[in-house]
Amino acid sequence: MVSLAATFGRGAMTNHWRDIRNADLILINGANPAEAHPVGFQWFMRAKLERGAKMVHTDPRFTRTSAVADVHLPIRTGTDAAYFGGLINYVLQNNLTHDEYVRNYTNASWVVKDGYSFQDGLFSGYNADKRSYDLSTWGYEAAAAAEPAAGGPPATPLDAFARRDPTLQDPRCVLQLMKAHYARYTPEMVERITGIPRARFLEVAQMVGEMGRPEKVMTIVYAVGLTHHTTGSQLIRSASILQLLLGNIGRPGGGMNAERGHANIQGNTDNAISWEILPGYLKVPAPGQRTIADYVAQSASKRSDPHSWNFFGTNYRKFTVSLLKTWFGDAATADNEFAFDHLPKPAQNSSWMSIYDNALKGKMKGVLLSGMTATSIGPDSNQVMKALGSLDWLVVMDPLPTTSSEFWHAPGVDPASVKTEVFMLPTTHWIEKDGSFVNSGRWMQWKDQVLPPEGQSRHDHWILADLLMRVRSLYDRQGGRYPDPLMQLTMAYADPRKPTLDEVAREVNGSDLTTGKRLASFALLKDDGTTTAGNWIYTGGYPEAGNLAKRRQGVDDPKKNDPTGMGYYPNWAWSWPLNRRVLYNRASADLEGKPWDPTRAGIQWNGSRWVGDVPDYPPTMSPSDPNAWLPFIMNGEGVGRLFSSSTIDGPLSEHYEPVESPITNPLHPQVSASPAAFLYDKAAGRKNRFGTVKDYPYVATSYRLTEHEHYVTQHVPLLVGLQPEPFVELPPQLAAEKGIHTGDRVRVSSMRGKLEVLALVTPRLQPLTVDGRTVYQVGIPIHWGFVGVAADNDPNKGANWLANALTPFVGDANARTPEFKAFLVNVERV
Amino acid sequence: MAHEHFAVSPDWRWYILLYFFLAGIAGGAYVIGALLRVTGRDPAAERVTHLIAFPAIVICPVLLTLDLGSPARFWHMLVNTTPGGGGLNLRPESPMSVGVWALSLFSLFALVSFLGALGRPPGIARLMAGPMGTAVTAIGAVLGLFVASYTGVLLAVSNEAVWSDTWTLGGLFLASGMSAAAAVVAWAARRRAAAGTEERLAEADGWFALIEVLFLVLLFITLGAAGTARTVLDHGWVLLWVVVGLGLLPPLLGLARRGMAGVMAAAAPVLVILGVLALRAVIIFSPQG
Amino acid sequence: MTVRISPGTAYGFFTDTSICIGCKACEVACKEWNQLPGNAARFLGDSLDNTGQLDAMNWRHVQFVERFTSERHAWLMMSDVCKHCNQASCMDVCPTGAIIRTEFDTVFIQQDVCNGCRNCISACPFGVIGFHGDTGTVRKCTLCYDRLQAGMQPACAQACPTQSIQFGPLDQLHQHADARLAALHSQGSTTASLYGRDSQVYGGLGAFFLLMDTPETYGLPSVASAVRPGRNNAPGYLGALLGSVLAVLGGLIAFRRRNETEPR
Ligand SMILES: Nc1nc2c(c(=O)[nH]1)N[C@H]1C(S)=C(S)[C@@H](COP(=O)(O)OP(=O)(O)OC[C@H]3O[C@@H](n4cnc5c(=O)[nH]c(N)nc54)[C@H](O)[C@@H]3O)O[C@H]1N2
Ligand SMILES: Nc1nc2c(c(=O)[nH]1)N[C@H]1C(S)=C(S)[C@@H](COP(=O)(O)OP(=O)(O)OC[C@H]3O[C@@H](n4cnc5c(=O)[nH]c(N)nc54)[C@H](O)[C@@H]3O)O[C@H]1N2
Ligand code: SF4
Ligand code: SF4
Ligand code: SF4
Ligand code: SF4
Ligand code: SF4
Ligand SMILES: [Mo]
Repeated sequence: MVSLAATFGRGAMTNHWRDIRNADLILINGANPAEAHPVGFQWFMRAKLERGAKMVHTDPRFTRTSAVADVHLPIRTGTDAAYFGGLINYVLQNNLTHDEYVRNYTNASWVVKDGYSFQDGLFSGYNADKRSYDLSTWGYEAAAAAEPAAGGPPATPLDAFARRDPTLQDPRCVLQLMKAHYARYTPEMVERITGIPRARFLEVAQMVGEMGRPEKVMTIVYAVGLTHHTTGSQLIRSASILQLLLGNIGRPGGGMNAERGHANIQGNTDNAISWEILPGYLKVPAPGQRTIADYVAQSASKRSDPHSWNFFGTNYRKFTVSLLKTWFGDAATADNEFAFDHLPKPAQNSSWMSIYDNALKGKMKGVLLSGMTATSIGPDSNQVMKALGSLDWLVVMDPLPTTSSEFWHAPGVDPASVKTEVFMLPTTHWIEKDGSFVNSGRWMQWKDQVLPPEGQSRHDHWILADLLMRVRSLYDRQGGRYPDPLMQLTMAYADPRKPTLDEVAREVNGSDLTTGKRLASFALLKDDGTTTAGNWIYTGGYPEAGNLAKRRQGVDDPKKNDPTGMGYYPNWAWSWPLNRRVLYNRASADLEGKPWDPTRAGIQWNGSRWVGDVPDYPPTMSPSDPNAWLPFIMNGEGVGRLFSSSTIDGPLSEHYEPVESPITNPLHPQVSASPAAFLYDKAAGRKNRFGTVKDYPYVATSYRLTEHEHYVTQHVPLLVGLQPEPFVELPPQLAAEKGIHTGDRVRVSSMRGKLEVLALVTPRLQPLTVDGRTVYQVGIPIHWGFVGVAADNDPNKGANWLANALTPFVGDANARTPEFKAFLVNVERV
Repeated sequence: MAHEHFAVSPDWRWYILLYFFLAGIAGGAYVIGALLRVTGRDPAAERVTHLIAFPAIVICPVLLTLDLGSPARFWHMLVNTTPGGGGLNLRPESPMSVGVWALSLFSLFALVSFLGALGRPPGIARLMAGPMGTAVTAIGAVLGLFVASYTGVLLAVSNEAVWSDTWTLGGLFLASGMSAAAAVVAWAARRRAAAGTEERLAEADGWFALIEVLFLVLLFITLGAAGTARTVLDHGWVLLWVVVGLGLLPPLLGLARRGMAGVMAAAAPVLVILGVLALRAVIIFSPQG
Repeated sequence: MTVRISPGTAYGFFTDTSICIGCKACEVACKEWNQLPGNAARFLGDSLDNTGQLDAMNWRHVQFVERFTSERHAWLMMSDVCKHCNQASCMDVCPTGAIIRTEFDTVFIQQDVCNGCRNCISACPFGVIGFHGDTGTVRKCTLCYDRLQAGMQPACAQACPTQSIQFGPLDQLHQHADARLAALHSQGSTTASLYGRDSQVYGGLGAFFLLMDTPETYGLPSVASAVRPGRNNAPGYLGALLGSVLAVLGGLIAFRRRNETEPR
């Protein structure tokens, strides 16, 4: 998500599920949609069946997706940046880019200022002690003062115009820098790093090269097979850059399509489930920011081109103030900076792993886990359990027992040795609630309660509301330091202890406080405290007209409900922002507003307005208007960023080896793995827990099976019946070497722990030749643990069934997403 | 010609084996009785055949029923219980259906002959002694032949390996059944039988065994052609074939050298019976794995 | 795909294995609707299949066939089910008439008539039917007879995300299938073929398939091997007759009258 925002402006799937049907070529990397998104996968199949689209699945394993793909490329886990780097190089070398698109809709012509460099695996501005970059050297060269006169609105303090070279000849313009940067990614180098045979790679490169033609379009689909790496952001950036060069962003059938996880994980992200953002992707304030002005100045993007609307940056303050008004109501006034002080300004990272890291350091009293199973999730489950064990208390909010609620009596654990007091708060399951799910395609779809709640269970939002009320009464009685943020939090619900999700949805949409009416668009938000918006990107989803997420005008009448025939179904539910189905869709048409491909129009200029999808652009802004905005309205540049200073581990994508890797990086042996990935154990002075090929000769990756949903389906007998026992997938050649047969019990061990499960020997895993040596990859499904039907049936109660006992406690430099997908193991028969 | 088979096992086990065996003995005994009658030899021995046939055949429906998943619904084979159906249930396509009817009718004739043999009630005895009795016996014999042989057809009318690969099982089961029956009758009648009957039964047994050998040859020719001969020879089944061979030995010897029959007389019946059981066991069980 | 369902029309399945993704949603939907708990869970290690076979507890079974050679990497998936044969071997041998053809031209086993003789199991050339101890009857796919009567399409077809299982009037399905086959052939998939679409296999199958390999690969009898049990009635009985005649002859020879001058 970080990388998408860094490249295009928003951290979300650019298109939507149904739109994949419109593609000519589908590249699937780091995703296994046939197994992880079987229902969404129908649109991949439709593309094949209805328009003869080709499907390329690049995956270490031959999966159920590969089985129906046209090409399967076996790849070494963690090396997609090299694969995409090779494709970028192929496209640049052979001039297969979509030239008009690249010139006008990307920052290819932006000139990068002196001082930026890339040498021996390091970008300029690296600080070895801090293991981080000073991003200032990745900026643009300032434009000559005259530049703004070229048109566009008057410059403002939020501007930092950059020099551009429309000829793309300047050696320091982004395109030229890229040519140099990617020249290293020759087909030979791609083969050496990824293990993809040169010929197979070139076969695919040729197909991909075709997609730069305006009448062709390719989609790239990915999921956690790219994100679960210390180089996750780099992997995704590399694919995004390729899509920009081919002119496939903003177009139906194109895009960078991130398949999200849980049915509502997109909604969670939008509403700030991750530590570094507030709702609507506003940054979490940083220490030292005393006023909203400071905050906006340091958080909002600056216009680097006069024709850039920079919509987000320009309105950052309005969205911030409206959020504060929503949260603190009358207590938020112009005089007190709208209670900006109430927002925490964390000095340190508090991402997933940081929580357990702090617990291990004894810095955490308690943890409240809701709807997730820390122990199973990992990484490094044994260390996570140690962390949970060093808390005073742990609250688990879940409808079902989990490995976290039960960790204190896990197999081999003596309950007496665990001092943590564990509370189980039975919640309702999502199927026992109403509310909305936001899918990968940003559609907010309202669902009704399907089953009545069972027993004593309570809705999460009721538990949390009640908790707040109790804490408040404690403050009332006992007082305390700075209670205002809690005491002044608005709880304007009919029953503050039992808010309804409908009330919350209306609150999130926001309203005009002067009229009391709900707003129909975030364009109406103000920074004077007269509007509210719990999450600005959702403003317009629940206007006075009603809850648009409930709309259901679908396939029962395609003629009426899908007028464009492009599958937008504008009156089915509602998608943020403002019901746009394809983001950045201004880029689906050329400078005059004509679609690149008339048969697959996104939006087009009909002389007076933009028609088709809901334009991601001012609806009546004529292409011929001298002040016409550039297409990527969220970016400071106004265009797609080939070169981006928003990812902290490099402005251009670069291949780094996983932290545990069988080879040293052929590109730059001195800097083999990511130089910016945060090493928790090292920083905390704990002993090194990374292994080497000497002791752990095999590459492992972990993943899902269709038959199970992580850990929760261990409670569902029918699904346990389909995949009854944990197993690991082994290539036949490795199995032969080790005398292992299908059904044998094997021990898979890493530096951190071990797994004892059954072996499934299958030719679907094939050895690769990497950097001249044979590399075996081992496949590890994640779904088992010591809780559930299978564990109950097991004589050892599921001891050594946690896949994450193996995984390394390290993550991506930006998102800190753990490296679940690439680590070293040993395998032996038991 | 060779067919691959993907049918799965109906899991027919011991009840069916015993049923097939007893049906052979009962039918065989009755037929031998009839032959003794038409050749006008040894009414005493003839009586013995009927005293064997009926008790043997009445056990069969019991075995069949016990093998059903829903024994209480045995009668569904005789009466059409499909809603809106009704009437009797005879399905010529289905040997099991036809067989059940044959079995029922044969049981009736066997009963009458049995009572006749017992000599009470006197009415029946008198009737059976007369020409009417001969007619009854003749019809009963035809049914007996059917009951003793249709079980082979029942197996053949399927898609199982071996069973459906040959047309010989009916004849094979009949021959082996009669051979066993001859041995049993000879043994049971050894005291009451008139002079020479024992030898003649032994000779008959010899002929039956010879016919069985003929059908065995045909069986292996047909299975060979179908490529399923291995199924009946694989894992340990050969041992049962040895038993089959031993069971054939005495009657064949008997046939080869007359008079010598007396030599093995003692062990003969047991060997023959074991042979017949073994034969049915291999055929029934080997394809079912 | 919404289908209007009316008695008197022949309905069935077209299962297009070329787009099956082996998700087993059909298996689960079938079990849910028909309340089949399945057999005791066991790791079979047969690719990703742990169901094993069609039987009394599994009326849908997704097969996973791994065909990996140096030139070809194929992982075939096929959702197997009762074929609802036009000439149903199971029906031919059933002594009770429990197996009937419904108003939707599907093959249905009446649970209240079946007495569990298991003759049909030996007859079904596809190994579809299974015996269930609790009910003392045999069971198989009903083609959701109850749902069809209520105007609903079968649970498995409704659950299939890729439309690999298509339910509908057979004549329509035949057209879809022909079109799909043509498309595949034009795309160079020469191994693709239709199985049971025409009358060569048991007079045509109510549940027919598009296969990407030979029928045997999926455990289906080839056209040559698709024979009915009834074929053995006549030869079987003739064999029995031959045996009877010989036996009677043998008996007569043994019991024939001879002059009584032999030594005693
Ligand atoms: N059935 C089922 N569906 C699910 C879930 C589930 O638990 N079960 N979970 C949901 C959730 S929360 C999520 S996040 C999504 C995840 O959806 P996916 O990301 O599709 O699921 P994974 O199986 O984790 O990983 C996908 C593939 O990435 C491959 N892979 C691993 N490393 C690499 C690599 O370096 N490069 C490439 N090219 N491929 C790699 C793996 O072999 C695997 O086949 O699925 C969602 N859907
Ligand atoms: N090695 C390895 N590890 C991984 C991954 C991997 O690919 N490899 N994938 C990672 C990813 S992407 C993810 S998303 C995680 C998934 O890890 P989890 O999210 O922990 O997995 P689930 O089993 O989906 O857990 C969801 C829990 O929410 C509960 N629940 C359901 N509805 C509600 C509700 O309404 N309220 C509350 N309070 N609880 C509810 C369920 O009972 C269940 O216990 O695993 C991560 N871990
Ligand atoms: S589990 Fe639910 S969300 Fe996931 S693919 Fe199936 S239907 Fe879609
Ligand atoms: S497949 Fe088997 S069970 Fe189904 S109808 Fe045909 S013969 Fe009967
Ligand atoms: S088991 Fe039931 S359905 Fe099958 S043949 Fe016997 S009676 Fe008919
Ligand atoms: S039609 Fe009904 S019974 Fe048959 S497999 Fe599908 S769901 Fe099961
Ligand atoms: S539901 Fe459809 S795609 Fe999934 S396994 Fe069954 S047939 Fe195949
Ligand atoms: Mo996830």
